[in-house]
Amino acid sequence: MTTPPTRDELKEQLKDQASQVLKRLNGLCDDVSVAKRLVDKLRDVREYEAMGQLAEAISRHDPADARNRRLYAQYLIDTGKATAAIDMLRPLTRRLAKDHREFAEASGLLGRAHKQIFLDAAIKTDKPARDALKQAINAYRKPFDQNPANTWHGVNLVALLTRARRLGLRFASDLKPAEVSKSLVKTLEATPAAERDMWFLPTLAEASLGLGDWPEVERHVRAYAAANDAKAFQVASTLRQFTQLWDLDHTDERGRGLVDILRARLAVLPGGELELPPDEVQRLRKQPSPDNSQLEAILGDRGPETFQWWKTGIDRAVSVAAIRRQLGGRIGTGFVVRAGDLGLEPSDELLVLTNYHVVNPLGASPGIPPEEAEIAFEASETDDPVRVDKILWSSPPELHDASVLRLRIPVSGIAPVPLAKALPVVEETARVYIIGHPGGRDLAFSFQDNDLLDHEGPSAGKPPVPNVWRVHYRAPTEGGSSGSPVFNSRLWQVIALHHKGGKLGMPRLNGKDGTYAANEGIAIQSIRKAISEA
Amino acid sequence: MPHVTFIHGIANKPPPDDLLRILREAVAGGPEPAPLGDLGVSSSLVYWADLLYEKPEDDLSAYEGVEEDTAEAIDGGGNAPSPVPRSAEEAAFIEALRGHLTGFSEEELEGAEPPPVPADPQGELERIPLPWSIKKRFLKAYLRDVHHYLFDVDFGPPGRPVVRIQQTIRRRFVDALTDPAVTRPHVIVSHSMGTVIAYDCLKRVADCAPVDGLITLGSPLGLDEIQDKLQPGWTRKDGYPSEKVALAWFNAADRLDPVCGLAPSLARDFRRDGASRVEDVKVDNGGFWRHSIQKYLRQPAMRRALKGVLNV
Repeated sequence: MTTPPTRDELKEQLKDQASQVLKRLNGLCDDVSVAKRLVDKLRDVREYEAMGQLAEAISRHDPADARNRRLYAQYLIDTGKATAAIDMLRPLTRRLAKDHREFAEASGLLGRAHKQIFLDAAIKTDKPARDALKQAINAYRKPFDQNPANTWHGVNLVALLTRARRLGLRFASDLKPAEVSKSLVKTLEATPAAERDMWFLPTLAEASLGLGDWPEVERHVRAYAAANDAKAFQVASTLRQFTQLWDLDHTDERGRGLVDILRARLAVLPGGELELPPDEVQRLRKQPSPDNSQLEAILGDRGPETFQWWKTGIDRAVSVAAIRRQLGGRIGTGFVVRAGDLGLEPSDELLVLTNYHVVNPLGASPGIPPEEAEIAFEASETDDPVRVDKILWSSPPELHDASVLRLRIPVSGIAPVPLAKALPVVEETARVYIIGHPGGRDLAFSFQDNDLLDHEGPSAGKPPVPNVWRVHYRAPTEGGSSGSPVFNSRLWQVIALHHKGGKLGMPRLNGKDGTYAANEGIAIQSIRKAISEA
Repeated sequence: MPHVTFIHGIANKPPPDDLLRILREAVAGGPEPAPLGDLGVSSSLVYWADLLYEKPEDDLSAYEGVEEDTAEAIDGGGNAPSPVPRSAEEAAFIEALRGHLTGFSEEELEGAEPPPVPADPQGELERIPLPWSIKKRFLKAYLRDVHHYLFDVDFGPPGRPVVRIQQTIRRRFVDALTDPAVTRPHVIVSHSMGTVIAYDCLKRVADCAPVDGLITLGSPLGLDEIQDKLQPGWTRKDGYPSEKVALAWFNAADRLDPVCGLAPSLARDFRRDGASRVEDVKVDNGGFWRHSIQKYLRQPAMRRALKGVLNV
């Protein structure tokens, strides 16, 4: 049986195809239809750069293709060029007939471009933000006025109107958000079952939100978010709408509860990924948990349990530190461990574990010596950086790639992460979580769910270097940073120290042939064993 | 690496891989979780529903939740027919077992209208406030499956070969325990009729491999009719499978579970050289349907016992 490609492998395949088609398009014009199909696929896997290049090449061959121009504009929005997208979409919506099937799509996208400018603005009441909000409302309104079946335009219109009213802005003063919502709910409920797509329930939930009908909102969200086959991207999309557009985080307790619950649900779903800035981690720890009745209303009778699991994950994030070069940027990640758990004395001392290639006694590149390093617990109450006193134990990259750091000011007020006594069993459903700084971005904690692929630990492992047990896991998008803790999925216990990411071409473990896309960590128990035997 | 072998109970079940995943999930959720995979504990399943049911259940929702609104959710999936006794002994066995569960006759249960529930319910099943259309299917599955195993009936569901039920299930159990992937410490987690199969093999099948722990959940082993069918082998004074269970036998029972509620304690009936060895724990599964394996697997006492023997 052929194994389906991973997302990363699919991306690479599509990029290769795009590159080949691009070459042909720049020569003979015989692949335009192939190229057009490829643009869709590249968008689906969020490979925007290749998508944009191809859309540009297609535009040169077929400048009148409205769909391609619209997708080109989408690429521009998704790569942060919203104003360029507007410049492309405005003439497009003017030249298209109102009944052209691309008109509604292009108008909606124009609304999205303006919406993005509004959402990106730090101060929502400044003129550029106000103008963007007004333009977004106008752009979403046109296709919805024209045809109430354009419900995705309708829910965006409701959300933006609600947001505008909350800011005291009277754009589209003839419209009442509640009335638009009522009309939307009516249209949606009249949709025959066979015509309801996967966005039906999320749209209905948002429309109900416009009515302030919380029991209905929670009922609709539960129907897709709590289902056993719930999809991470669907929950992520709802969460994005509820936080960025509806601003539910900052409205009332019930709204805050709803988005907290969705975050918990997203984190537990396969493929779910969350990025939280440190101040968000702090806020989530401090604020009270949603009450059990709301948890059960949205997630069913396992709701409280799911939320408790998520809260534990949030607590663990506080123990994760950024390792910086003094007066420089972040170079890696580390986490707090109890000395005794690693076999060191005094057993209750709190230390920081990171990679050797991040901090090492000699400052061997790409790492730095301890005297140049500082540690910051960005999600804790006091995030003042602390200097490193000394390295208590280290092991080079070809062995454990680990350094245990003692800080000049002892770690206090931060709980050490618990260490797992054993590696998880390698089975189809086994997953691990990494809390780290994805792609080198500084101010974000990434809760990534990864498939556990293999490991060299007892009892079936065959490590080529005795007592160095490597662990392989697959990241859905991008690798976490060096020195991040790798947790087992249920207990939030550390099983490994993340040491390198490899999108493709990682040789398999245990003598198996071939390569795959994988990240690699070193089992925490093999580090502990090495320290104990030192 | 520690290992857990599950063996399921009566009625039809989802496909084996799905069922094993569901059981692992159940142990991993709730208070004092025991996520086997995360704890480095491998697991496997002795599956036998395919010997008695035509095809596995494909709607997994009834098995994954704790809703009590379908026959599948209360151990009544698969539409098993009532067993047809081949002898007076079998007829007496079925009647006695039925008598523990209901005071109504077969004819009364088959009637179009549900029988009136007496003011003082006569059987365990009457006490459960669920529609009879649902309870009836559980009753049939229970009587049929237990009968076919204990009397080693020749049987094959439509489209499948006819086999000797007890011998075939025993072989599966024994083979599962000797699988090279099974390592010690090794614990059997059994439910419902699975407890009867596990005990039968550990006590009465000579080539069955030893284990470190036996966990029985919602077990009918306390009923006289079942014990009678486990002879030779079982005696009240020395019914404990000492040669095959090295460390512990933990038994959990809910008094309102219709399968084990009448005889929830096993320590008295499964002694070792006359001494009590089984650790009996009474649990409260909550809800209407107390026999659910999902509910038993979420009991903290069960998890503590499991982790204790596995040493994790």
